[in-house]
Amino acid sequence: MKKLKAKSRPTTEISAASMSDIAFLLLIFFLVTTIFALEMGIPLVLPGKQSTSVKVKRKNILEVKAYPNGAVTVGDRQVPLSQVRPMVERELAANPKLIVVIKTHPDAEYGLMVDILDELKLARCTRIALKTLNTE
Amino acid sequence: MKFERNQSVESSVPTASMADIAFLLLIFFMTTTIFKMEDGLPVTLPRAETAQKQKREKIMHIWIDAAGDISINDKLVRIPQIQDILVAALSERPDLIVAFNADDRAPYGIVSDVMDQLKEANAIRVSFTSDPKKPGVPRRRY
Repeated sequence: MKKLKAKSRPTTEISAASMSDIAFLLLIFFLVTTIFALEMGIPLVLPGKQSTSVKVKRKNILEVKAYPNGAVTVGDRQVPLSQVRPMVERELAANPKLIVVIKTHPDAEYGLMVDILDELKLARCTRIALKTLNTE
Repeated sequence: MKFERNQSVESSVPTASMADIAFLLLIFFMTTTIFKMEDGLPVTLPRAETAQKQKREKIMHIWIDAAGDISINDKLVRIPQIQDILVAALSERPDLIVAFNADDRAPYGIVSDVMDQLKEANAIRVSFTSDPKKPGVPRRRY
């Protein structure tokens, strides 16, 4: 009599050998692609305590003033904020030694000063001074 | 007489559970990690186009809110105290950058007073923290 062969069952196993590879792959992927929140800011170097004051010619100074009501003046003309950049660009082209002084009223909003600073940086102005406007 | 063959001892490390260990560690660290966040003060940062990336490890934050309150290292401070805090911080890190996380609507007089303290402490590198602004987008006010 013929011997009955046991039916060979198809194995139903998921191979788990590559699981650790997948885990490590994911781990390394996230390690490499994670970006932590960046700090963005406008850098500026202040004059320190020891720095000596330098005399600057009047014609090399351009004053930009900021007032509490949001008004901005360049030189002595009141201009909208959008006009600050082209005006400063023009003045810089005429006089590359120009130093722009931002004089902000103590009651003016800080945001206005940053807006002006941003405009000056956009106009590629590198010599910038910050001052507080005398209230008298 | 038949000699039995020496049976060699099997010497394999089971690696089937490695994945479980890796995932377990991954999940453990994911759930237990707490990022240290400075609380500061609630501020609406001004927006600027020319902002640059600043190195985090060099930065010390000064928070100034719209009411003019000042916070450094999770503590509310008054203006005359700032100089001492900065002198101490500078002795630890001479290349410190002081970042102004000041509210858009904070009065400039306060910012200016803080800057005077920075000058006294010789902390000359500052950064005005801002949110990025897309060029060409009109401003909110003025």
